[in-house]
Parts: sequence; C-alpha cells; structure tokens
Amino acid sequence: MSLAETTGTHGSGPPPDRLGAATPILELRGLDKRFPGTHALKQVDLAFLPGEVHAIVGENGAGKSTLIKLLTGVYPRTSGEIFWHGRPVALATPHDAIALGINAVHQEVILCRHLTVAANLFLGDETASLGILQTRRMERAAQAIIDDIGFRIPSGVLLGDLTIGQQQLVATARAATRGTKFLIFDEPTAYLTRQEADQLFALIRRLHRQGVTIVYISHRLEEIFELADRVSILRDGSLVSTARIADTDEPTIIRGMVNRSIEDVYHKEEIPFGPPVLETRGLTGRGFQDISLTVRTGEIVGLYGLIGAGRSEFVQALFGRHPKTGGSMILKGEAVTIRRESDAIARGIALVPESRRDQGLCLNLGVGFNLNLPIFRRLTRGLVISLPAQREHADRQIRDLRIQTASRNALAANLSGGNQQKLVVGKWLSHGADLYIFDEPTAGVDVGTKVEMYRVFAALLKRDAAIILISSYLPEVYELADRLHVFRAGRLVASHSHKDADHETILAEALGT
Amino acid sequence: MTTAAATAPVAPQTKPSTGLGFLMSLTLLGLLLAMWIALSLATDTFLTANNFANLMRQAALWAIIAMGQTFVIITAGIDLSVGAVIGFCSVIVAMLLQGGFPVWASVLITLGVGVAIGLFHGFGIVKMGLPPFIMTLATMTALRGIGLLMTNGATISITVDRFTDFSRGALLGVPNLFWMVILVAVPAFVLLHLSRWGRYIYAVGSNAEAARLSGVNVSVVIFLAYTVSAMLAAFAGILTAARIGVGVATTGDGWELQSIASSVIGGTSLFGAVGSVHGPLIGSFLLTTIANGANLLNINPFWQRIITGGLIIVIVYFDQMRRRRR
Repeated sequence: MSLAETTGTHGSGPPPDRLGAATPILELRGLDKRFPGTHALKQVDLAFLPGEVHAIVGENGAGKSTLIKLLTGVYPRTSGEIFWHGRPVALATPHDAIALGINAVHQEVILCRHLTVAANLFLGDETASLGILQTRRMERAAQAIIDDIGFRIPSGVLLGDLTIGQQQLVATARAATRGTKFLIFDEPTAYLTRQEADQLFALIRRLHRQGVTIVYISHRLEEIFELADRVSILRDGSLVSTARIADTDEPTIIRGMVNRSIEDVYHKEEIPFGPPVLETRGLTGRGFQDISLTVRTGEIVGLYGLIGAGRSEFVQALFGRHPKTGGSMILKGEAVTIRRESDAIARGIALVPESRRDQGLCLNLGVGFNLNLPIFRRLTRGLVISLPAQREHADRQIRDLRIQTASRNALAANLSGGNQQKLVVGKWLSHGADLYIFDEPTAGVDVGTKVEMYRVFAALLKRDAAIILISSYLPEVYELADRLHVFRAGRLVASHSHKDADHETILAEALGT
Repeated sequence: MTTAAATAPVAPQTKPSTGLGFLMSLTLLGLLLAMWIALSLATDTFLTANNFANLMRQAALWAIIAMGQTFVIITAGIDLSVGAVIGFCSVIVAMLLQGGFPVWASVLITLGVGVAIGLFHGFGIVKMGLPPFIMTLATMTALRGIGLLMTNGATISITVDRFTDFSRGALLGVPNLFWMVILVAVPAFVLLHLSRWGRYIYAVGSNAEAARLSGVNVSVVIFLAYTVSAMLAAFAGILTAARIGVGVATTGDGWELQSIASSVIGGTSLFGAVGSVHGPLIGSFLLTTIANGANLLNINPFWQRIITGGLIIVIVYFDQMRRRRR
C-alpha cells in the first residue's frame, strides 16, 4: 500500500455535524485498570465521535497515560468494555490496535535516529523486490508524503540530524500514513518551540479534515482551545466531565483538574532585591556572544528566546560546561573563570537542566540516591557515608517538596514527570546555592506541579538566592521574571522590567521581525 | 511525562543497594548450598577436606577478578583485559623473584604494574574517548604479546619456596588463597557500598551526564573503576604464579569471560548501575562448583563446557525474572 495514497484517500471528509448523534468510533464503558497497589483508572465511560478532536486533560497521575496504553493495547484492561464502531473489541495487544487503525504519537520520539527519514517512515512496512529493499522507491514515496504535509526536508537525511520538532512531525506523519483512523497525541509539544508546534498543529488540522479522529493530550490549555472540539477531564483515575470546548473555559477546566481553584498560578511575592550575585560583561562562548546582564539576590531573571537562540548555551557556560572564550563573569564581587561543573557547584551555582531524563536524574537508582547525589561528600563520616544522615536528608526533601513516592528507595524512573522534576530541584535544595539556574523547569509538568515549582522559587528568593529562569513558554517568564532578557541568534537583543512590554512585542523581538 | 504511578502509591521498589542485593544473594547462596548438598550426596569425594580446599583455591582467583570486573561493569563499562593482565603479571612477578627481588618488593611492583595498566585504560577511555570494549580488547591482545616477547614464549619457574608455599598453606584450616578473597572483599565492600566513591560509581553507570551536572568528577570515577579492576587482576596474577609455581604469559586465558559470567550471575547488570561486591563472590563460587562437581561426576570435559554455558543462561534468566517481578 502506498502511503502517499493513503493520506489522499481520507479526503471524503467528516459528516457536517460531527458532534451530532453519530455512532461513536470508539466507546469505553466502565473501563477499569488496576496495578498492584494502584487503581489507575476507575470505571471510565467515554465516547469518541468520528472525526472529532477530543482533548483529554488531567494532572500527572490522573490516568491519562494509562488510558492511552489501554487504547493502544499496551496494557490489558482489568474490566470494562471497549466498542469500535459499536462492536465490542478485545484490544488486548498493540497489534489489535494497529489492525483497527488506532495509533499514537508520543511526547518523546520513539524512532531510530540513525536511519533516514524515509527508512523511519517505512519501518516495519518496507517496500522490497525479491527481498532487496527498494530504497529509491521508498525515498520517493516518503518525499511525496513529506511534501504533501508541507514540510520542507529531504527524505534521505538522518532522523537524528533533525530538530526534535521536525522529528515529532516525522513521527506524526508515520502514524498518520498507515491507514490510521484514530490517532492519539500524548503531549506532542512538550519539547517543541512555538513555530514547530504551529507546524504540528497544521498537520493535525489536516488529518482532522481528512476524517481522522484525534485524541489530544496536553498540559498546555491554550493548545486545547486552539485545536479541540471537546474536552474530557480526568482526575485520580476517574472521568470528571466531558464538555464541548465552546461551553467551557480555562478556569473551569483547571478547577476540574485539580479540584481547587488556582487563584494565582503564577505565584509571585514582593521580595526586595539585594546585592548582585552574578554579573556578566560581554560574556562570549560557544553559541552566544557579548552577553551582559546582572542577577541580584531576591530576583528572577528570565531568559526568553526560541530554541537555538543561545540561552541554554549561555547558562551552560556559566555552569562550566564549555568555558567562556571572552568577556568576564563576576560572582559575588569576584571575577571568576569556571572550567568545570564542580567549580560552579563549589562556587554556589546550581543548574536544573532542561532534560530530566538525559541530564537530571539517575533513573534506575533510588529517589534518595538522586536527592543526595550532590551532597555525598557532606554526608561522609570518616571513610563511609552515614546512613542515618542520608535517610534524614532524603526524607526531609521528600516531605518539604511533597514528592509523591512509595519510599526513598523507589526508583526515580517510577515517579511521574512532575515528581521527577521535584527530585532534580530537591537535590540542589539539599546542597544549597546562591544562584539557581532553571532551564525549562516546567516542560511537561501539570498545573499543580507548576504552582508548587513557583512556590519553590519564592522560597529560594526569600533565602537570599537569585534565579535565572529559561523558558520557551512566554506567559511563564512574562509573569514571573523581574527582569526579562530576550535572546536571538546568540545575542541579547532586548531587556524588559517586569511586564513593561506586551507578549506581541517580546515575541517579535525573539523572532526578529 | 505522565504516568499513572504519580499520585497512587507505587508498589514498593527497592534500589540496588545493599538491601536488595543482600536478599538476592541469599537466593543465590541457597542455590550454591543446594549444589553442595547434592554433590555431597552424589559423590564420596566432594565433601572432603582436600577437595573443598581445592575448590576454595580455584574460586578465590575467579572471585578476586570478578569483584574488580564488577566495579567496571557498574559504570556501564567492560574490562576484557583481566585474563591477559593475569598472564602478564604472573610473568612480571616471576621475573622479579628470579631476578633476586624480595617477595614483598616483587608483589608491590607487580601490583603497581596493575595500577599502571588500569590508569592506561582510564586514559584511553576518558581522554581518548575510546569505547571500553575496544580499549580493553586492545590491551588484552597487546599484553599477551608483550608477555610472550619478554619470555620468548617460555615459562619462568619460580624457585622462591616462601612464595610458592604461600598458596598451598592454610590458616585456621582455611586456605590462604581464600583469606586473600576476604582481604580484597572487605575494602571492596567498604568502597562500593559505604563510601561516596561507590555512590559515584553507580551514578556514572546510571547517567554520567546527570552525575557530571551534580558535581561528580566522572573522569576520576572511571579511572578508579578500571584501576581497581586491573589491580585486582594483577593480584590474581601474583596468586596464580604462586599456585602453579611458574610465570606464563598465556595463563588466565579466557578468565575475563569467567569474571564477567561470575559478575552477571551475581546480579550485576551489563547496562550499569546494578551490582554488588557479594554477588560476584557467590557467582564465582557457583561457577567453580559446577566445574568441580562435573569433574567429580566424571562428566566428559567437552560436556562440561556445554553444561556451564547452559547453566549461565538459566541462572541469569531466572534471576532477571525474579527482579522484574519485584
């Protein structure tokens, strides 16, 4: 089956009133899933109408991932029934799901980075003649698909050479071109820039027009208002409500998700600024040049810009990842050169890196281990580590940060994204620092965890610390930063005091338009 | 990332520290004891002082290199050179002794050679960026060559009785070689399980980038692991030379694989960050018991190899199943 053809043949279009009394394409009745010690989904009744975009929201741990895994046949259900076009189906294996036309696109791209885009698109469904792969033909067919979705890259490039956003588009194209009738997106934009997200949305709308039913899961509520026809809220494994998007609003959804009204998501307290902790003068290094800025105690300095604008490279230089090549860096009044991470840590800088999985955590080690990793030296008595001190420190952080874990010995991998993020922050709270650098601290975490993260910011500022906050989510830096610097192409192009410019201005500065 | 495990309590998970490792090794210990009981019942020769002392001596050498290998494997690396280091160091210690060096000096210098080899591995892996497999494969090949070159392919007889008698001696009824295992295991346990450097070894094996960003000097940790492994291999080389009374460049052939097998049977994960000091100890005793038992049962030596291979698969398979269920 040619894939280019498949994308074309869906064009018959959905019925005019998609939300009318049509038979649901997929219906769940009393769907229930238990794991040892966990009741992950509780008697969920939910109907997906043909051709709709159905958003599902909920905090981390509300059961969204479990629901996806049941719909894609990854887990068997404990009880309940699933109907496909009104007929009961087993849906017990991933193969069952694919045979019905159910596919999923995940937050993290699960494809082969060392193969070409074409090879990835056709993985498991290669064209061969007499057992010989028809590479040319596949590349041509892949190019047709890629051109068709308005995505300008050659199909012969390696997937690993693309940005994460482009990879996400390839993953979507792959899922969309296998006779898919029901496509689930699990936080596809968590790691994407706004432009990349827009490209993805265009692709989603296109699939929608072709009659594919779409389930869209995201923590970013504005995306849901942009894309969805209906929205369902999950909380603690139960369905709270399903509503047409036109009949609901953001506060209602947030209340449904967290069961409390969030007066002020962006919790910000008036904290007086103290002396400068960090000053850079014309700092230059790999990926950025001539950056001059000051961070004072009690202050949040926000760095906004597109991915690749040099923000992460700048803070990595502060942290000793790549030494600076020019300019100066003054820490607490003293000119310093930071050559490696341990220098930075010794001088009171802490970095909460962008990717918890790749840079932040030892996932197959314990919660307590991760929390104590920077302070094992301090916990050492003579030759050996004091076990009581280790337990005490870990338990204090678990308590203070309200980390939800079975015990300090649970593996970090078993925690939800929000709780994993708290671990990364927690290890620096144990250690203590004067300057905390947060690189995209709330990517892929839910509203409740975000609020807790912002409270941690306030607590740090009150302890006379300073914060550098990098975020690609403009409302976040906009609301929280006392001073906001805009990066573009490795340079600092504009600076603002708290809320002295509107979103459009800042966005235009970041884009360079 | 959204997982269902967030709000609800997760099924208790134990991290691979002493707690879990201890339980796991108890099960392996059970298997070892079961084998011993079965062999005692099946043969008259197994449960004799002589055979048992022999078993302990053979297991001792494998146990020592398996412990060193485990340090490396926990960092998600591999040390293929341990067998070659044993051969090479048996030659070095024999040459030193025959050259008139006192025993203590010969031993110390040979251990120093081991340390130097380990540092060279660290240099290749950290500074030159070579994969551990390649780096230690290269030294494995080259060290055998150097040893053969130095001896011209001949064996060097050791005529210092004080040195060779040591391996046959016993203290409190326990062979001296087994005391050497304890001499190694106690500091190794302290280093891996109780000190911060041990924690760093696990952290590097789990996620070197996260460890680096947490202030761990990853290079030093890697140097440490390979140095421990090579030094223990040098120590095993000295003990082997004492046991057989000669230095031979080709001795210890294939022992790198024995050490990896012992380590993995003892619960070490080749993906890193999982392992213990006591696991490989028991693993090496299991392997030695299999070989010893097969000898006593008069099993054809060709079959012995097949059986050993099969048992490795079975033991590690069941061990992984048990841990996955946990």
